[in-house]
Amino acid sequence: MNDSAAGWILVGALAFALPAAATWLWARRARQAEQLHAETRRRLEQLQREFERFAPPDLVERLTEGRGDVAPQRRQVTMLFADLRGFTSMCDRLDPALTVSILNDYFRHMSGAIGRHHGHITELVGDGLLALFGALESNPWQGRDAVLAALDMRAALAAYNAQLAAKSLPQLQFGIGIHSGEVIAGVMGAGELNKFTVTGDPINVASRVEGLTRDLGVDLLITEEIRTSLDAGFHLRPMPPTRVKGKPEPIQTYHVESKDA
Amino acid sequence: MAQLLNEIPWGEPLLAPDIDPDWEAELKRRGGNGSELDRRVAPSPWLREACLGMNTGRACAISAHLFNVAALVTSQENACRYCYGASRAYMQNLGYSESFIRRIEQDVHLSELNEKERALVAFGRNLARSRPRPALAERDALLRHGYTLAAAHEIALWIALGCFYNRVSTLIASPPERGYEQWVSAKRVKFLLLAPLMRFQAARRRRGKPDPAATAEALRAGPFGPVLAPLAGLPGAMIMKSALDGAFASNVLSRGTKALMFAIVARSLDCRASETEARRLLAAEGCSDAEIDKSLASLESARVPGTESRLLPWVRDTVHFQTARIQGRTRELAAAMGNAAVLEAIGVASLANATVRLAMLVE
Repeated sequence: MNDSAAGWILVGALAFALPAAATWLWARRARQAEQLHAETRRRLEQLQREFERFAPPDLVERLTEGRGDVAPQRRQVTMLFADLRGFTSMCDRLDPALTVSILNDYFRHMSGAIGRHHGHITELVGDGLLALFGALESNPWQGRDAVLAALDMRAALAAYNAQLAAKSLPQLQFGIGIHSGEVIAGVMGAGELNKFTVTGDPINVASRVEGLTRDLGVDLLITEEIRTSLDAGFHLRPMPPTRVKGKPEPIQTYHVESKDA
Repeated sequence: MAQLLNEIPWGEPLLAPDIDPDWEAELKRRGGNGSELDRRVAPSPWLREACLGMNTGRACAISAHLFNVAALVTSQENACRYCYGASRAYMQNLGYSESFIRRIEQDVHLSELNEKERALVAFGRNLARSRPRPALAERDALLRHGYTLAAAHEIALWIALGCFYNRVSTLIASPPERGYEQWVSAKRVKFLLLAPLMRFQAARRRRGKPDPAATAEALRAGPFGPVLAPLAGLPGAMIMKSALDGAFASNVLSRGTKALMFAIVARSLDCRASETEARRLLAAEGCSDAEIDKSLASLESARVPGTESRLLPWVRDTVHFQTARIQGRTRELAAAMGNAAVLEAIGVASLANATVRLAMLVE
């Protein structure tokens, strides 16, 4: 074989090998990019799932997708405050781990009842909770939903108390106040700690109404604004108008006794 | 983030298949495939026709490729295990690569789709999700991406029909077509070789001509005519119209209950056009404005007979749902109402969701 033939063979081999190598390299890069994307996606999903333990899934989805509709806005929102009565003194008597376990189980039951009726819990402070209805998206039935959630919470608490009683543990009692009004809803906070919540006078009223449950000796109170959104199937008992902090006039509340099946 | 196929919880089927040899023969003759869902909706004449129309309907202004992509994202967005699995397998059957499908599912921005196709995916997800429901402005965004008016309306129609079919499958918990999915998965290499031919055949099956019978005037006559009018000329328009006419003509549920179910879905999605039309139908049944307002506020109505009253709060939950929860609630409904009534209710609720989403074309 002379030099010229060897040269042609070499050129031929290179003509085959170079594109093949380029294709192989390109395919390898594409595979690596695919793997990188899959891994990034897996981490994002994991992060999202973790995040959903701290905020409603709908909100997490909007934030992770970079949608602008969590910008602050005025909305009609119904607020439900629930607070355990006498739990602080119970804490002093019980083992801390048992106290936390009871509280967590209580929140789990309440969260289920609220979620079933289109609400979400936005705050847990000590043994109290604040749930919102209609905060993330328009809900024409928010007042009704909140009262149905509260009735469901009452039933869930009774069932949970039966479990506690069977273990000879102290039973829980709560007070719930519900009110609605126009508030500003949005992601609020500073620096490292931000959350989706609402602000405005109606939230103070809802909190005061929850406080009235103690004074009036009932477990579930609603305001006039909520009453107007309910039909005759809900059995309400009007309570004496009562003055609350921050309001010049006494406010009318109603005890929700039951709802027709 | 929409769920992937293996993340969707799916219960046991609510209804058993109803094997009707005459209907099976008719299905085959008209190009249907005798699916798990076809057999479960068979007892309802209007619903089985609508489902068959969904599977065999044609499009004249959008390509089969766009049609397939829209069906995939709609079923994924609606978390319908049945349709999503079938859509995926169908696309694999046509030679779409796993990585292509996965990119559309996970992040359309990383997919090989062009800007115009991505606009369709975004529109499809928004309309299926409807949180909040898109308005006419989003249709105009499609026009700015180069779609014709007919194409934009056809896209909205097929996404709305997808929402209908996805809900029927989900509420029935129709068993996934696992045989088909596994068969496609096993024969992938063969499909890759035959893909161009199969894509050509599939495109031919979906390619239609404008329907001269679907005039604006014809579409306007009957329930929710004003919502259907923008679909004039589209070959799929009559599927929607026949479904609406059939649903309101059927006597399994009372006409007032059905109109109220539509009104509740309309109010959930804040759709004035649909609520106005539902109110018109309720007024024709003798309901006063005050009565309608009261029913819509309380999700109860003295006019709704016995067990049908359970449908009012339930239909509201078919607008946005968690699959396991809505399947559980529908099961409770079936136990209380019986299979015939619940099948009808599933059809009406699904159709109401489709119609109100489609009403974005008039608002």
